[in-house]
Amino acid sequence: MKQQNRAAILGGIMATVLFAFLPVTTAQEREAIDISALGPQIGDTVPDFSLPDQNGQIQTLESVMGPNGAMLLFHRSADW
Amino acid sequence: MELQEQLEELQAQGLGVAAISYDTEAVLTEFSEENGITFPLLSDDDSAVITEYGILNTVANEAFELVGARLSDGDAENLDPVIAEDIEKYVTVTGGIDFHIGTAYPGTFIVDRRARVTSRFFEEFYRERNTIANIMLQRGTGLTPIAAVEGSTAHLKFTAYPSDPYVRPGSRISLAVQIEPGPNMHLYAPGAEEKGYRVTSFSMRPAPYVRFGPVQYPESEIYHFEPLDELVPVFMSEFTLLQDVLVEASAEAEEARSQLDALTLTGSLDYQACSDTFCYNPVSIPISFTLDLRELDRSGPMESSPLRARRAPRANTNPN
Repeated sequence: MKQQNRAAILGGIMATVLFAFLPVTTAQEREAIDISALGPQIGDTVPDFSLPDQNGQIQTLESVMGPNGAMLLFHRSADW
Repeated sequence: MELQEQLEELQAQGLGVAAISYDTEAVLTEFSEENGITFPLLSDDDSAVITEYGILNTVANEAFELVGARLSDGDAENLDPVIAEDIEKYVTVTGGIDFHIGTAYPGTFIVDRRARVTSRFFEEFYRERNTIANIMLQRGTGLTPIAAVEGSTAHLKFTAYPSDPYVRPGSRISLAVQIEPGPNMHLYAPGAEEKGYRVTSFSMRPAPYVRFGPVQYPESEIYHFEPLDELVPVFMSEFTLLQDVLVEASAEAEEARSQLDALTLTGSLDYQACSDTFCYNPVSIPISFTLDLRELDRSGPMESSPLRARRAPRANTNPN
């Protein structure tokens, strides 16, 4: 009886050790994605930038700004 | 491109516009020429700004590390279901993974002159997005109404219109009703149901592959109804209700709509009106909105997801 228990415990430990080395990402290790929590929130100031546009001109937050503010649209790609 | 179509109205409202992506300048130059784009398309080709903004699509990297450049049929069994679901939500329903690395989660920030965010519009499924017209409507700076239907009852005048004349799979739009209560009339706002009044609202009939979200209300006023000495939240002057609508973008939804060229959404506008001395019975006005259906903006044909095999096993057609 005792030996059976010991074998079961040993088996359990070995299984744990084996699983620990498997390259499997489980849901528990991973933080759930919540897009609404990512990036600047209402009231936050957005970072400035300096990026070339389609005509090779450098644009910044200030240069794209209108008199009442700006709409900054992040999209995946214009290529696909 | 919708943004280009609405550009003049946005600029008339004093908003500057810029679109940011991980594309190279060359890609943006070509896209701009092909589509007649006149606002800045910014090239963040090392994704530095996207990363600084905190909206880099990290699920794409994760997917690449797990399965490589492309999903294949076997991945359905090997991936953790939570990760598989995230890949479909944030990266792809069609299989290609590698080219998504470095992209942003799509979405829009509106900032004031001092670069502070006044509103933001991001979605949990990459194919879903607020139309520009809907963004403006939700900010209370709606663009010129289109396809409006006007009507009146004994208690009010109304104008009903969709934020957009057409939708695509994934479009998030609003159905708007602008209501002008008659003289000395008030209509009930949320909170009034506690006193037994019918709150002004939409009740839309369920439609296949369309999700109705919450109704957005403007601020109400508190009315003192003297005969009962009650304080009730009401609308007494012109106000607009917005019914959130999402046109689903799943493969099944597209299949089901493949023969349709328009989407008709029907329901009613429900309200109860009272004057200073008298409360009328609740009223239900039938309303209907017809939206043209357009296809998803995409370059390649829609393929079914390799990850979908797990949920809906394909019939075995192997002759062996």
